[in-house]
Amino acid sequence: MSTSRKARTGLLVTWLLVLAALGWIVAQRLHVTTDLRSFMPAPTTPDQRLLMDQVGEGPASRLLLLAIDGAPSGSLARLSRGLAVALKHDPRYAQVLNGNVDLGALPDGLLAYRYLLSPTLDTQALDEPYLADQLQQRVDDLSSPGASLLKPLLPRDPTLEVLKLAQLWAPARSPELRDGVWFSKQGEALLLVQTAAAGFDPGAQDAAVSGIERAFHALPGSNDAKLQLSGPGYFSVVLSAQTRHQADWIGRISTVGFIVLLLLAYRSVSSLLLSALPIASAALAGIAALTLIYPAVHGITLAFGFTLLGVAQEYPIRVLSHRRAGEDALASVRALWPLLLTAIASACIAYLAFYASGVNGLQQLAVFTIVGLLVAGFTTRYLLVYLLPRRVHDVADMRWLARARQWVDALPRPRWIPVLAALMIVLLLALAPGPFWQNNLAALTPLPTAMLQRDARLREALGAPDVRYMVVLQAPTAQGVLALSEKLQARADALVGQHAIDALELPSRYLPPVALQRKRQARLPDRAALEQSLHAASRDLPFRPGLFAPFVNDVEAARSLPPLTPERFEQSPLGQRLAAMLVQRDGQWFGLGTVSGVHDVAALQAIGADSHGSVRLLDLKAASESLVAAYRTRILRALLGAAILLVLTISVALRSVRRAWHVLAPMTLATFLVLAVERVMGIEISLFHLVALILAGGLGLHYALFFERDTGDPAEQRRVLHATIVCVLSALLVFGMLAWSTIPVLRAIGLTVSLGVFFHFCLSILMAPHAHAAED
Amino acid sequence: MLLLGLLLTSTVTPAHEAGPAVSTSASSTRASALIEALGRPAPARTAFAEARFMHMLERPLVVSGQLAWLGGDRLERRVEKPRLEIATITDGEVTQQREGKRPRHFSLKRAPQLQVLLDSFVALLSGDAERLQRAFVIQTSGHAAGAWSMTLTPRDPEVARTVASIVIDGFARESRCMETHEADGDVAVDLLGTLAGEMPAQPTPAALQTLCRGAP
Repeated sequence: MSTSRKARTGLLVTWLLVLAALGWIVAQRLHVTTDLRSFMPAPTTPDQRLLMDQVGEGPASRLLLLAIDGAPSGSLARLSRGLAVALKHDPRYAQVLNGNVDLGALPDGLLAYRYLLSPTLDTQALDEPYLADQLQQRVDDLSSPGASLLKPLLPRDPTLEVLKLAQLWAPARSPELRDGVWFSKQGEALLLVQTAAAGFDPGAQDAAVSGIERAFHALPGSNDAKLQLSGPGYFSVVLSAQTRHQADWIGRISTVGFIVLLLLAYRSVSSLLLSALPIASAALAGIAALTLIYPAVHGITLAFGFTLLGVAQEYPIRVLSHRRAGEDALASVRALWPLLLTAIASACIAYLAFYASGVNGLQQLAVFTIVGLLVAGFTTRYLLVYLLPRRVHDVADMRWLARARQWVDALPRPRWIPVLAALMIVLLLALAPGPFWQNNLAALTPLPTAMLQRDARLREALGAPDVRYMVVLQAPTAQGVLALSEKLQARADALVGQHAIDALELPSRYLPPVALQRKRQARLPDRAALEQSLHAASRDLPFRPGLFAPFVNDVEAARSLPPLTPERFEQSPLGQRLAAMLVQRDGQWFGLGTVSGVHDVAALQAIGADSHGSVRLLDLKAASESLVAAYRTRILRALLGAAILLVLTISVALRSVRRAWHVLAPMTLATFLVLAVERVMGIEISLFHLVALILAGGLGLHYALFFERDTGDPAEQRRVLHATIVCVLSALLVFGMLAWSTIPVLRAIGLTVSLGVFFHFCLSILMAPHAHAAED
Repeated sequence: MLLLGLLLTSTVTPAHEAGPAVSTSASSTRASALIEALGRPAPARTAFAEARFMHMLERPLVVSGQLAWLGGDRLERRVEKPRLEIATITDGEVTQQREGKRPRHFSLKRAPQLQVLLDSFVALLSGDAERLQRAFVIQTSGHAAGAWSMTLTPRDPEVARTVASIVIDGFARESRCMETHEADGDVAVDLLGTLAGEMPAQPTPAALQTLCRGAP
């Protein structure tokens, strides 16, 4: 006895040590991501790949829309200017726009490039008539109210190229200006911030968002005003906080519920604590496997994976419920093991369908749950049973259980039950309103409608690019893309002229191709010629001699500058803006033109008509819907595969097709019943509903397997009922909680699985063979 | 930028009695009395002639035209010579129109000289000394019934970075001149009302000062 106790203590300590080691590995390696794309289907065509890149990294995804309200407009304008100044030199932001003409857009080091970047020289030479006209205008400017704005620029830039560039780079359509900054119709001060980090890099976006909030709250007078943010980056921050928050409270409530349930069911604290060990092992082993296989683990995979592991709780529960008084746990588990193994194998098969979905987030979920289930099953069988206390309370002796079993056995089990269920399913599906499938990925994006509406409103007010359409330019080199973009500009202007679109922003707007820069460079006069024209042009004007020496020096310097390349330009803050629009992928260069205010899609579509595919319109919504449809086909195929595998596994394990029917028929009918009920409730079936159906199917299979098992021993039948009730209640607890989540994905799964568990339980009782069938 | 002068320009008969005397370091109550006496109903219009002396230029820029207050916070500066140019302030936005060019818009915040005016405009027009004192440190000298001078120094450091001070010279209830001293040393002198017609062909700061301080 004492050696056995020593051995048990040793086993327990070793197990705990292994768990601690696993925990340490996980803590070292775990890197959690909230990149939403992990839960979107894997792209297969180049356009779909570009779509996925753009959804996360494109210029539109880096845009944060800011609105300040809650104070008089004068204070709001001051706050807008203060915020713009505070963010301007922060490397986390590529561009900050608030309507104020930004004369510092071009850094000092690149200032001489203004003659190569501005379109002035395409139509003008820096000759005497042009300079004379410009200088006369500057004289008028100096006597006008705007003189103080101009004075610092004048000696270096008398033709105001810097101003022309600032205007060129300002958004094409901008909101109303009040006190020199943008205001919405609702009276909020508006700003546009382009982050240096990609939209779905949640860590960097979090830093960018909190940087903005900190800078805002540091401004004097910001206490009364309210800053609101919008845009993909902000959404990813909100989402990650929301997911974490909900996963936390759902997890806490589920855990308390579990503990209460198990204490009530087994009345043994030590059994309860010990039965937690297989689950803890499952969770740690699952995460450890993920960290070994994937560079980053998705937050939703974890939140959701822990919930799914509730299924694994079934294994220790079955062992605990099936113990008899005076019998060693090992003996109980030996009798139970073949059935338990079938249950584990079939659950793993069902979860394999996650893997076949081809979606990274779901594949992670499959790895996590399958590893978890196997670990939970095998630690229950080979470790837990050696630790369980010898003296137990046999559940078969509980009076209420005996009565419940009698009641269950007395239930009528007419043969027409399956026919009735099938008819109901057909009827409900026929009556269901609305489309069957949900193809819109955005419907799965867990964002409150109010937030999306505000985003749409700000986007409209700011003339910010449409997130649906994008013009893609393709060429073998970056210069090729820029040249294509330059050529396309005239067509883009024509589209704006026809009111087909409000604006199309092409990469060459920020950086003209090298060839064009050289052309402009060649038109710059040499020092002697410029000095002579300047002298002649200012003959009758009051400018002090030598005032324009900095101008002459800049023009001279610009004559010999190497043309500005994307690599060089991208080192400046504004170049970050270009970098987002000019990307390399699979050995090709892509230019991404963002479109605002699309009024005539057909006209926009025609932009690439004779370009032989080098210019095309990418419809992100159509591309994503085609992606979803393709993905659904894969899921349905995976389901079919899983179903065939299940039938084979069950038939082989039970060695009887008739017995397999008793297990599989209730499972199949219950699955379709869930589908039918959800459709009648007006729910459109998304990919996540399908996945949840598979999960519920796995659970239902367990119930049917155990109910079908006929030992001919009434006590054992009572234990089966006890174990199944505990399992059903715990599943309803966990998934019922999920059904209350505000995250649509989690809600879809919670509702589907809760309904599923209920239907599976009822049907597997009603369709199980009668307990006394063996005696007949 | 001279609309301030408009408020002080006499279109009303001079005071029939001698006003209170004001000294160089007048208390704010004394300054208030002067400002309150200058308040008058709107709208109003006056001629102006401006000479600007700038570091960048060899000779001053001279323009002339009309200044008008159009009600509310709307001001108009209309230059008639040498070329037509109309600048208006509406809702913090300046619109500048020249013959044959597209109108240009810029923020009032970019033209602190105009900001100075707008800050003080309504206050002076309504004789609201308190509001004027919120925007400026005010110093007055001279005699309210005779020649007087008022120096306004902007309190807002952002504005003060461009406009160091404004000096308004007047006689009784007529303001005759406004000198704007910019922070970089450039000076603009505006002759107002009847004095606007007396701008010399080759103005110098000293000659204009003599003109401003003289009696009408």
